[in-house]
Amino acid sequence: MKILRRTYMWAVYAFLYIPILVVIAYSVNNAKYTTDWKGFTWKWYQQLFSNQQLMDAAANSLMVATVAATCATVLGTLAALCIHRYRFTGRKVLHGLTYVLTVSPDIVMGISLLIFFIFFHIELGFGTLLAAHITLCLPFVTVTVLGRFSEFDEDVVAAAKDLGASEGQAFRHVILPLIMPAVMAGWLLSFTLSMDDVLISFFVTGPNFDILPLRIYSMVRLGVKPDINALSAVLFCLTIVLVLLAHTLSKARRRP
Amino acid sequence: MKKLFAVILTVMLCPFFAQNALAQDEKILNVYNWSEYIPQDVLTQFTEETGIEINYTTFESNEAMYAKLKLLDGKGYDVVVPSTYFVTLMREQGLLARIDTGKLDNFKHIDPFVLHQPFDPKNEYSVPYMWGSTSLLVNTDHVDPASVTSWHDLLRPEFKGKIILSDDLRDTMGMALLATGHSVNSRSDAELKEAYEFLKQLYPSVRVFDVTATKQAFASEEVIIGMSWNGDATVLTQEMPNLQYIYPREGAPLWLDSLCIPKNAEHKDNAHTFINFLLRPDIAKRIVEEYLYSTPNKAAWELLPEDLKNSRAVSPTAQDLEKSEFCDSVGPALQIYEKYWQMLKTRS
Repeated sequence: MKILRRTYMWAVYAFLYIPILVVIAYSVNNAKYTTDWKGFTWKWYQQLFSNQQLMDAAANSLMVATVAATCATVLGTLAALCIHRYRFTGRKVLHGLTYVLTVSPDIVMGISLLIFFIFFHIELGFGTLLAAHITLCLPFVTVTVLGRFSEFDEDVVAAAKDLGASEGQAFRHVILPLIMPAVMAGWLLSFTLSMDDVLISFFVTGPNFDILPLRIYSMVRLGVKPDINALSAVLFCLTIVLVLLAHTLSKARRRP
Repeated sequence: MKKLFAVILTVMLCPFFAQNALAQDEKILNVYNWSEYIPQDVLTQFTEETGIEINYTTFESNEAMYAKLKLLDGKGYDVVVPSTYFVTLMREQGLLARIDTGKLDNFKHIDPFVLHQPFDPKNEYSVPYMWGSTSLLVNTDHVDPASVTSWHDLLRPEFKGKIILSDDLRDTMGMALLATGHSVNSRSDAELKEAYEFLKQLYPSVRVFDVTATKQAFASEEVIIGMSWNGDATVLTQEMPNLQYIYPREGAPLWLDSLCIPKNAEHKDNAHTFINFLLRPDIAKRIVEEYLYSTPNKAAWELLPEDLKNSRAVSPTAQDLEKSEFCDSVGPALQIYEKYWQMLKTRS
């Protein structure tokens, strides 16, 4: 039974990771279209780093994702705090609307934002893309942090206040450390959402701001080229570094 | 705290102002194109020669490009590259600006063969950029290329389960129309029905309907014969010399991508300069060498190396194209195409 369980677990992981490993293997395969192994090469990586348009798009994407994730995390966390801790008219509506946004189709958001921008004569580009991505990520952060709040011990905050902490101090020294894992998760989730959004970005980005997912998506017409495999491999390694970093950071925090 | 807020607000709004400043600058050109369709060094050279900075963004289908331009009312982009019959659509919708061919010294290099096509009879709105065919690619290890001379050869029993057809309805219906002796732009229900009957016969032999993954399908030998763009065929032949591109005697559907200027483009002069630059023989030659489609530029063709001049995929002979035709807009008859396409896909 134990063996069966373990095999099952490994099968699931294999299913998830083998496609990625295949992409990495092809990124060093010296063949342009064929699927046979034709020897080891770094040339797709060279081609990737010398492809200026692709690198620019990648830099743009990273920048938008970082800024959007950070803004969405700050705003989303505050929204969650507000919904959880304070009682005011329209609170329930606000709470409900957050969930509506998480399930509303991307295409609706993309088109409505575009019409909004056109109506107010806002030039399409970095600004509009960033605004759209913050809008996209915000509800996800709020929902993640609210989840953490639902298993939150209110007495801890009450105790802090009894000991003389102001609302601000209670937030900084008690609440924030306790919800930190959810905030971090919200940030990472936002970063990923922003990094691979095609649909909304297609509508709201302008002629002078190209981003990676759109560029990759439009390359499909000519078939996926090996330098895209190389790019995927680089992005995958970056993700692993990020996850390891988050892991070490949270460990370091636990040990006083 | 207020100060901090003001600083953050300024930083956040910066991009808006920066963009407005850029838009007023005349040395800018916004190009909206298929990906991998103009080499990076050509763009760099243009900027070096003229001082005009290029913002290059890409789309993956005519439909997507059309939707965005329509929503923006032809504003924001200065040069776009629609395919064949999308020029008709955009022209009819008033999305395109007139192109002043008087400003284009290099317009004279263009082969009359691609000019004055039905989708832009006077070439007032479009300048041919690249063209090509969707014809037959065969794997000579498994198929004797000399034995394949007609679209009807696809029906041979030995190709069962080994055929790839395009998933673009105009390409595949166009091929079937040619096979049954009609025009690729037929608007007649009866003719389209004949084409449909031909495809229905062919259907059991088809392994896959796809046009973007042609290269992978041939490379893995999943298919040994089928429809392919001439550029894809040439690129793939460089890696797999056992492939051969064939023009069936009934002809093949042709396509033409054109350079156009949207109606409300903000940098029309720069757009003309850019189009003229792309038509320069030495530049057009480099573009062909990179992507291996056919060039409408006669002077550029003269500069090509012998192997490309002799490649029938890149440089089809007049005989190859005798019965081939460009796909033009078919207007409301497109619904008939879609009706038969649906029937084919659902096998009813």
